[in-house]
Amino acid sequence: MSDPAGPLLRRVASSADDADRAVLARIANGELHALDELYERYKTMAYSIAYRITNDAAAAEDVVQEAFLGAWRNAARYVEGRGSVKTWLLSIVHHRAIDAVRRRRPVADLPEREDVPPPALRLPDVWGEVSANLDAEAVRAALAALSDVQREAIELAYFGGLTQQEIAERTGTPLGTVKSRMRLGLLAMRRALIEASP
Amino acid sequence: MTDSRPPMELTCDEVRDLAAGFVLDALSADEAAAVRAHLASCSDPHVEIDELAAVLPVLGESVPVIEPPAALKARIMEAAEADLEGRRAEAAVAVAVPAPAAVAPAQPAQAQAAPAQEPIPLRPAARAGASPGTWALRIAAVLAIALLGGWNLLLQGQLSQARSYQESVAAVLDAAAQPGALTAVLTPEGGSGPSGFAAVESDGSVTLAMQALGPTAGDEVYEAWVIGGDGVPVPLGGFQVGNAGTAYFEATGVPAEAGVVLALTREPGPGATTPTLPIVSSGAAG
Repeated sequence: MSDPAGPLLRRVASSADDADRAVLARIANGELHALDELYERYKTMAYSIAYRITNDAAAAEDVVQEAFLGAWRNAARYVEGRGSVKTWLLSIVHHRAIDAVRRRRPVADLPEREDVPPPALRLPDVWGEVSANLDAEAVRAALAALSDVQREAIELAYFGGLTQQEIAERTGTPLGTVKSRMRLGLLAMRRALIEASP
Repeated sequence: MTDSRPPMELTCDEVRDLAAGFVLDALSADEAAAVRAHLASCSDPHVEIDELAAVLPVLGESVPVIEPPAALKARIMEAAEADLEGRRAEAAVAVAVPAPAAVAPAQPAQAQAAPAQEPIPLRPAARAGASPGTWALRIAAVLAIALLGGWNLLLQGQLSQARSYQESVAAVLDAAAQPGALTAVLTPEGGSGPSGFAAVESDGSVTLAMQALGPTAGDEVYEAWVIGGDGVPVPLGGFQVGNAGTAYFEATGVPAEAGVVLALTREPGPGATTPTLPIVSSGAAG
């Protein structure tokens, strides 16, 4: 598949991301001060996402703690890996938060997480490069590109921890339609990001 | 495109159909596993997955900003410091024990239970940090395990397994050293099989180290249960086990009462609400 967003996605990582990588390298060496630095940089982002998903202060704290300790313990693995530190953290926070939400629900069909990295962790650098260059205007443009039903489907999944099937049941929408809304919504956001990028 | 079908039998088109749900983490366990299996074996790079996922940071940036409580940082730093001390102590033990030369650097004790995403203890600030006495206990326990297991256990093939269990037991000892903590020795029903050691702290958190577990396959998990005075098993959570047969597990919600029973069953998947017999290992706290 061709990639019309090549210029954006192949952009050189920002200097902020380089600094993050340096901090993570120090964390991999067991420097507690470096973990302190990383926490200070991203505590607000991490906690805000965790709180948005869990809607519970104690659970959000646990999620953030898990995420930063995960970074502390797995920093060496990351250094050998890829992408933006910021979005790596964000993906850990998101998955931990969704786990917490799903544990609270009486759902038998919990996605298995123990033996596989979350999807974002298999992604190439594009993930980090996009995130590192996001500004408020791009975020607004991307969110504005969503229709109401697309936004509902994406938010129920990303922030609500619902599966596609659960979203279909909750909204009384055919499963195929839910899948389409998610896909088209993400593609619309992507187009908006590309257009908003300098 | 894929010519040889992966185990879960998804086609490339089906993966594309599931791509949005996959990146949003909105697939069922079976679907997600099938997508991962396909991606692992497919010659097509499936760039649509990356393209869709690349916009997710926008969602993260869109949430209302809320500052975390100041105490959270202290909790995290304290937990990281304890983790660092544990690594150093284990390194010291590795030097003290005349093990074979190829000793790997200390790794998190949980690595055997979950190689990709280790379970991480919650609210470790409740622990007072390792006292000198605790370290003495740790080192003594690690040495005792090594001696009881026999030096042959430390021979090449089983070295990592032995170390993993030692590290897990050291973590359990940490928990057991807390004021008001109870301990339980888990033994197999038939006299031989999986065994382990658990600590139940006064705040209801439980720490468990197990060995001689059969490796799990697919979605299969070992589920930990607590059985209180009412005799009703309450699930604590599940974990998977690799070929080493060792595991480290933490959970909360266990009443710190003498006599409460901790038990382990093998379940076909996570989320069991009633145990699948037989109980593979169990023990009462006291």
